Amino acid sequence: MIINLPHLAQLVIPVAHAAEEASSGGVMETLGINWKLFLAQIVNFGIILLVLWKWVFIPVAKKLQERTDKIEKSLNDAERIEKEKKEFEAWKNEQMANARKEAGSIITAAQADAGKAKEQILREAKTEQQKIVDQAKQQIEEEKTHALSQAKTEIANMVTVAAEKILRGKLNEKNDQELIKESLAQTK
Amino acid sequence: MLAVPPLAAEQILHIGPLPVTNSYVNSTIALVGFVVFALFIRAGVKKYGGRAPKGIVNFFESILEFILGYIDNVTHDRKKSLKFLPIVGSLFLFILISNWMGLLPGVGSIGIQKGSEFIPLLRPANTDLNMTLSMAVLAVVASHILGVATIGFFKYANRFIKIGDLYHAFKSLKPVNILTAIIEFFVGLIEIISEIAKMVSLSLRLLGNIFAGEVLMTVLAGLVPYLVPLPFMALELLVGFIQAVVFAMLALVYLSMATVETHGHAEAGKGEAEAEAEENQVPAV
Repeated sequence: MIINLPHLAQLVIPVAHAAEEASSGGVMETLGINWKLFLAQIVNFGIILLVLWKWVFIPVAKKLQERTDKIEKSLNDAERIEKEKKEFEAWKNEQMANARKEAGSIITAAQADAGKAKEQILREAKTEQQKIVDQAKQQIEEEKTHALSQAKTEIANMVTVAAEKILRGKLNEKNDQELIKESLAQTK
Repeated sequence: MLAVPPLAAEQILHIGPLPVTNSYVNSTIALVGFVVFALFIRAGVKKYGGRAPKGIVNFFESILEFILGYIDNVTHDRKKSLKFLPIVGSLFLFILISNWMGLLPGVGSIGIQKGSEFIPLLRPANTDLNMTLSMAVLAVVASHILGVATIGFFKYANRFIKIGDLYHAFKSLKPVNILTAIIEFFVGLIEIISEIAKMVSLSLRLLGNIFAGEVLMTVLAGLVPYLVPLPFMALELLVGFIQAVVFAMLALVYLSMATVETHGHAEAGKGEAEAEAEENQVPAV
């Protein structure tokens, strides 16, 4: 690249000029410090600061914070609801299992009861039956003995009647013999 | 002929007692732009309320999140970050926008010829020490005000004029303590000077960088008007951004340093050491 030397020389001139100024007007003037301008710039920047502060940074930061809080809250809520749902599910399952177990135990108990009742009823029926049978037997026995004794007395009577009849009729040896034999055979 | 801009901003006209310079014109244009922008944002925030934002508000929210993230890195406290955000954010946005405004065509090239002197009508706002110094003074003064508001006047004043520490040291009657307190007292006096140095370094750093960029652009445009200045333009974009970040970051560090609560003597020393470490770290950017 070709650099134009006179141009470079011109570059140096302002610097020398500034140095000259510094010696005459002080550092502040060289740097361009002017209290009126300084105040004006403070006011300018102050307005920018104020405007951004009031209208931009605070509202937007507030909105951001609000949104963060909102999202946080929603997430927490969702988590809580999920947890509650799980708890409810577990509770429900437990409850159902309990109910099932209870129902099972009730059924088995009922079955056992029913079995026992059946057995008892059967047993009772059997004893009743036995009792009835025994009674019947006893009655039969009694009736039999009663009938027998009755028959005996009746036979005895008949024998007596027959004997009377025969005795009132012709009573011979032969007849007598035969009659005794017959009577004996009959009573045996 | 090459017209390298002088260090002091050139005066264009007088409004009453106020000498209007070309850089003042630029900062006023930026002011108007920011007010319009703020009105838009305000209207947008009102319009969208709690709903999802759109357009300019959405865009600005992303910028704000970005800035807040950086502030959080320094303060480690969202509440404090929100307190510093308006100051730091305004500094950053204003410096960035006025730096980039200086790269627009017409700035520095359109002007009036006064005899042999050429006076441009527009000149980047930050090439004027009045502007940079006013911002630096505002930032440092804001840090002192916030410091006093956060930790109380006497505690805050004790950082610079350590009479309280001196009194406690003498009361403890240990010679080592007294000696340390006396040394600390003079360190406190040096702190006062460092407060002035803060303002000077902040304002001169920004002025130097942006003014140098402006001079470079003028010289390059004078030597080779076409294409060659382009990469330097790109570099100037970067410099404008970096200087805005540096200024805002330093202001943020000063703010957070001023609002650090210090309890007792031992912890006060620790807090200062931390703050110093922070200060040493950031200018390295």
